[in-house]
Amino acid sequence: MLYRYQTDILVVGGGGAGLMAAYESTKYNSKVSLVNKGKILKTGATIMAPGAISAVDNRWKVKGDSKELLIKDTIRGGNYLNDQELVKLLAYKSPDLVLELEYIGAIFQRDRSGEKYMLRIGGGHSYPRCLYLEDRTGREMTRAMMGELRKRNVTLHENIMITRIIVKDNKVVGASGLCLETLEPVLFECKSVILATGGAGSVYENTDNSNDLTGDGYALALNAGVSLRDMEFVQFYPLGFLFPPSLKGILAGMLYYSHLYNSKSERFMKKYDSKRLELSTRDVVSRAIIQEIRKGNGTPLGGVYLDMTYNEPGFIKKMTPGLYETYMNIGINPEKDMLEVAPTVHFLMGGLDINKKWETTLPGLFGAGEVCGGMHGGNRLSQNALAEIIVSGSVAGKSAAEYAKDNKITYLKPSETKREEELINNLLSNKVGEKPCEIRNKLKKTMTEDAGVYRTHKSLYKALKYIKLLQEEPIRISSDTKYMNREILEAIENKNILITSKSIILAAIERKESRGAHFREDYPNTDNKKYLFNILVNKNGEKLSLNRRKVNLKILKPET
Amino acid sequence: MNGIVNILRFNPKTDEKPYYQKYNYEYKEGMTVLDILNYIYEEVDSSLSYSYSCRNGYCGICAVTVDGTPVLSCKKLASPKMIIEPLKSIRVIKDLVIDREEYEKRLPKLRLFLERRYKAKIQPEKINMANFEKFKVASRCVECLACVSICPVYAKNQHLFLGPMGYVLEARHLYDQRDNLNRDILLNSEGIEICTGCGLCSEVCTHKVDPAQIIKDIKEKFIKQ
Repeated sequence: MLYRYQTDILVVGGGGAGLMAAYESTKYNSKVSLVNKGKILKTGATIMAPGAISAVDNRWKVKGDSKELLIKDTIRGGNYLNDQELVKLLAYKSPDLVLELEYIGAIFQRDRSGEKYMLRIGGGHSYPRCLYLEDRTGREMTRAMMGELRKRNVTLHENIMITRIIVKDNKVVGASGLCLETLEPVLFECKSVILATGGAGSVYENTDNSNDLTGDGYALALNAGVSLRDMEFVQFYPLGFLFPPSLKGILAGMLYYSHLYNSKSERFMKKYDSKRLELSTRDVVSRAIIQEIRKGNGTPLGGVYLDMTYNEPGFIKKMTPGLYETYMNIGINPEKDMLEVAPTVHFLMGGLDINKKWETTLPGLFGAGEVCGGMHGGNRLSQNALAEIIVSGSVAGKSAAEYAKDNKITYLKPSETKREEELINNLLSNKVGEKPCEIRNKLKKTMTEDAGVYRTHKSLYKALKYIKLLQEEPIRISSDTKYMNREILEAIENKNILITSKSIILAAIERKESRGAHFREDYPNTDNKKYLFNILVNKNGEKLSLNRRKVNLKILKPET
Repeated sequence: MNGIVNILRFNPKTDEKPYYQKYNYEYKEGMTVLDILNYIYEEVDSSLSYSYSCRNGYCGICAVTVDGTPVLSCKKLASPKMIIEPLKSIRVIKDLVIDREEYEKRLPKLRLFLERRYKAKIQPEKINMANFEKFKVASRCVECLACVSICPVYAKNQHLFLGPMGYVLEARHLYDQRDNLNRDILLNSEGIEICTGCGLCSEVCTHKVDPAQIIKDIKEKFIKQ
């Protein structure tokens, strides 16, 4: 049976950015619907975010801080590849939006007076300027937004995966997808679509992302003819768990109170950054860990040892109660035992190529949140992701609503979902080949080894070749039922992960220098003379192609 | 294979009734229940349905019953011999996946959003810090439904009793001094007075929210008989 819905604005993705975009677009006399692959408030990255929201405002800033300084910090952190206009919007809009979140229900931590915000600092920020609540800032934000969506009766569709943006006469007219419980087709007619599908941690073996982040938005955009930018930049956090398997990649500690040792009991950071040691930047520590593993100095599980035993008794429990509980739960006493860790994927800086209205080049298609590129350039500062969520969500919501006002609904034939039905039937009839989870595990391994922390011309081509093989690999679905068939979902997600991986690799091949989160062993230096441009990935037919675009350095230029 | 797990399986489309299926696995100390489920799905039987998302306790979707107690499968350590069942008191979609909507349908009438009569003149507005501490505790709930599934009153009387999770969600707004809605009237229709105070919900709460204490506090402070 076909499920068919009509709405003015369709938001795809129910994390923070999607909820914010939906909330904002309800303000402009339009009908808003939100569709999410899983359960809302149970999927996406925002609900896991323990960090803080960067926001500088006269009402709470510390002496010496300014919006201009936040802009500079962000552009320096992004190694000058950011869209500087977006960064300016981030700095100028996030404070009022934080207050708007409080107006609709959130409360962020205050000092004893109850009037003044407590502020946190984060890596790359010049001053404490980030608002938070306990270690669940992201959840507090989504709770407020979700409450407001309930109040405003926004239609929420859960457990539906969007598989195609429908384009007619070069503009968005709808989207099609599948109900994941029954694999029945779903058709949306709408005037504008906001993609807020988040990142793609699933591309790599170790990630702290939830398991639904499979690059769906990147694939939807490419297939609709929209370019991705800066896809070569993948942020690794150096300390991810390696055991137990279900915890693989989850953030395992903080560099501020950790010493790292290899299997020869050397505190190896001395060799890589003798001054700052473990307090060096995340990318330097991540690379050092991989170097040690490659030299054969790794631990049994393929990582290095994280030592917190030198801290005063009770310190770890006090500083990170959540983590402490996790350590004890898996049988590690941080006051006595060492923990095995390895770098883990945290964030993708690249994504949809959008302008300062968070609008893509395809009329009617907008983006919000991590799925977009440009804000963070070549690397992201901590605490800027939650700020990006509210700013991009708010601007995209408004832009999409304004666009919808000037456009009409196009009626679509029910047969628009024929592709989805064929896809399902084809998959269900495949009885010979590899299981979707096997294909995914192979892909993750390749991306981690050959297109991860370290990259070379050779390794990237090796990964590219392998991915082409995996794309052609026949898929075996064990069960032929349409009811609750998770393998089908995995097979469809694999297509998205594969095209995302390919985009990462192609952009990484093109950038023959090292910058931000992208490190080429064969080109270890940053080259501002030749490489101050963004790489755009486009899809023509079945082929991906690349373009270059010079960065506009209107606000801040590199010193050298 | 030194581990044995019995999983209660049920496909309402094809099975007459639920049944236990036995699986063997290689038990290692430190493994979680989710590790076992992932192993079975990937290596043994991909028809097994279960839910997970964040893998570290944030999302609450992976709650199941292990040896009679509701737990988060990503947080609960596996043992060499286990029985895994879906959460109780809620309809099963398939195997360990429950129909969360069945419970969520009760939530809209609780008006789980801030209802303000006035906009604060000065922003950021002044917060009553004593209430804020309670607001924070209630807000830690991730809606995993463990408390609802163990609640004996809910099991017997779900038409006259909301269950612990709903009261906790409402408490966030009761402790929010900015909220101007008369929520005590809402709760009067939700049967909070028949809570027996047995405390099972607090024993199983996956985020130490202590629903029993919150319910007690609501009864004392907000529900005036």
